[in-house]
Amino acid sequence: MLEYSEPVTKLIDEFKRLPGIGQKSAQRLAFHVMRMAEADVERFSNAMMEVKRRIVFCDVCNNLTDVNPCRFCSNPGRDHSMICIVEEPFNLVSVEKTRSYKGVYHVLHGSLSPIRGISPDDLKLANLLPRLKPENNNDTEVKEIILATNPNTEGEATASYIARLLKPLSVKVTRIAMGMPVGSDLEYVDEVTMDKALSNRHEI
Amino acid sequence: MLLKNLETYNWRNINGIAVWNPDLNLIYGENGQGKTNWLEAIYLLATTKSFRTQRLQEGVKYDNHTAFVRGTVSRNQNIHRELQVTLQGAVKTLTVNGKRETTAAYLGQLHAYAFTANELDTIRGTPEARRKFLDRGVASLHQSYVHTLADYNRVVKQKNRLLQEKFTDPNDISKIKQQIEIWNFQLVKLGTEIHHARVEYVEKLNEKLRRDLFGAETYAIRYVSSLGGKGDLADYERLFATRLEVRLQAEMQAGYSLIGTHRDDLEITFDNRSLRIYGSSGQHRSALILLDLAAIDVYYEWHQEYPLFVMDDVDAELDARRLSLLLQQLEGRTQTFITTSDEDLRHRFTGRATAYKIVAGCIEL
Repeated sequence: MLEYSEPVTKLIDEFKRLPGIGQKSAQRLAFHVMRMAEADVERFSNAMMEVKRRIVFCDVCNNLTDVNPCRFCSNPGRDHSMICIVEEPFNLVSVEKTRSYKGVYHVLHGSLSPIRGISPDDLKLANLLPRLKPENNNDTEVKEIILATNPNTEGEATASYIARLLKPLSVKVTRIAMGMPVGSDLEYVDEVTMDKALSNRHEI
Repeated sequence: MLLKNLETYNWRNINGIAVWNPDLNLIYGENGQGKTNWLEAIYLLATTKSFRTQRLQEGVKYDNHTAFVRGTVSRNQNIHRELQVTLQGAVKTLTVNGKRETTAAYLGQLHAYAFTANELDTIRGTPEARRKFLDRGVASLHQSYVHTLADYNRVVKQKNRLLQEKFTDPNDISKIKQQIEIWNFQLVKLGTEIHHARVEYVEKLNEKLRRDLFGAETYAIRYVSSLGGKGDLADYERLFATRLEVRLQAEMQAGYSLIGTHRDDLEITFDNRSLRIYGSSGQHRSALILLDLAAIDVYYEWHQEYPLFVMDDVDAELDARRLSLLLQQLEGRTQTFITTSDEDLRHRFTGRATAYKIVAGCIEL
């Protein structure tokens, strides 16, 4: 016999499919939904449907967007001679929050990991090379590609894969620097980061 | 560093408080009374691990949920800190002076070397056990080495996954090769770091090794790279990269990584003969003691502080002569904890040692 009636069980099961949600959290969320006003539930489910219906991958950079091409790619105010490659859309948001990067992006939606069965074919790379032709890029020549994948083994592998891919094209390829977080005190920096920062030191 | 006292609660069968001698502590008693459990508790406080089990919850007293070990550690006459490891089921909490700390912050507080029956694997076990001995040593000097090792192992795992793929289409094969090269690139960077760190550590051990402490034979150690004899080890990075290129086909055939620092070994010899093959079990123990003593000295040279030394069941492990020599060497260096079922031992070290009789888990006064 089911512990909860069928509709409740169904809802709990659906919540459990979400990342980071186990049995207990799913139960709590399901009971919360039951206590919510009907209008709130409707708004919530509509929001989910809308995201699914209206959000697509940008044909140019693969970012998630409601207009295609996305607002970065179609903005003539952005510097189209610079492409910053990131793993996930939320990585793009991190770069964007700096407000100092004015170029455009390319989102891979993943990083190389044979263990998890992710090969180069599973990354959204197919539309990167065509972008390097000026006629496909607002008549702008791409001068630099910034590899902003994560500083772990998978991110490094992805970065070097793309670097190799781009090598014959003699476009400038750079990797984001690793080291000290700015605005923090030296005392709070962990040893590994400190180590990297020391080996990446530069003359002033 | 000194462990002034230790309080245990529900750790295996032991409960109570012990105040320790700064030099030598003899823990004695009948079999099955809990001598080793006290030693294990000290080791647990120092390393947050047990030398007997991977699953710490096994150490929580039967029918109980919570256990802890707590001790006061003195770094010098004025700096005393209270460390505590608490186990609640499978959850481990570390605190320093009552405040919760991360494992990394906690581990710098107290350091211990252990000589136990398991440690003999370093001498007679697989190369993996010897690499572990070296890696532990390097990590005791450079904490960030742990991350280099973890990254290296992860890269090997990723690469092995690719090597397991079986293809016949030449197109697919060249694609896989391309990907393997990507991981090899990282393997070379990380492997070179590991190689240099281990070689440097073995050099340090060699400087400190008291080769003929036990008289009869002379012991020596040497780091043996799996790339030895294949080219110039001085330029390891280049050699490693070249060998990976040359052996790519063979690795694809084998289906796993054939070369790298995960295939290296530490060679231990006595009078120029392989200790693992030709040594007696007494000689194995002598060599392990020499390695531990050297590691302790290297640790001291780097940190200007001696770690603790714990040794389980000395009667089974060492004869009277070796034990005397060892304890003589440790005098003035480490704070030492040994367990024995030989009550007479304490008479041989009166003046230096404090003896603790363990009966049913408790220290009998």
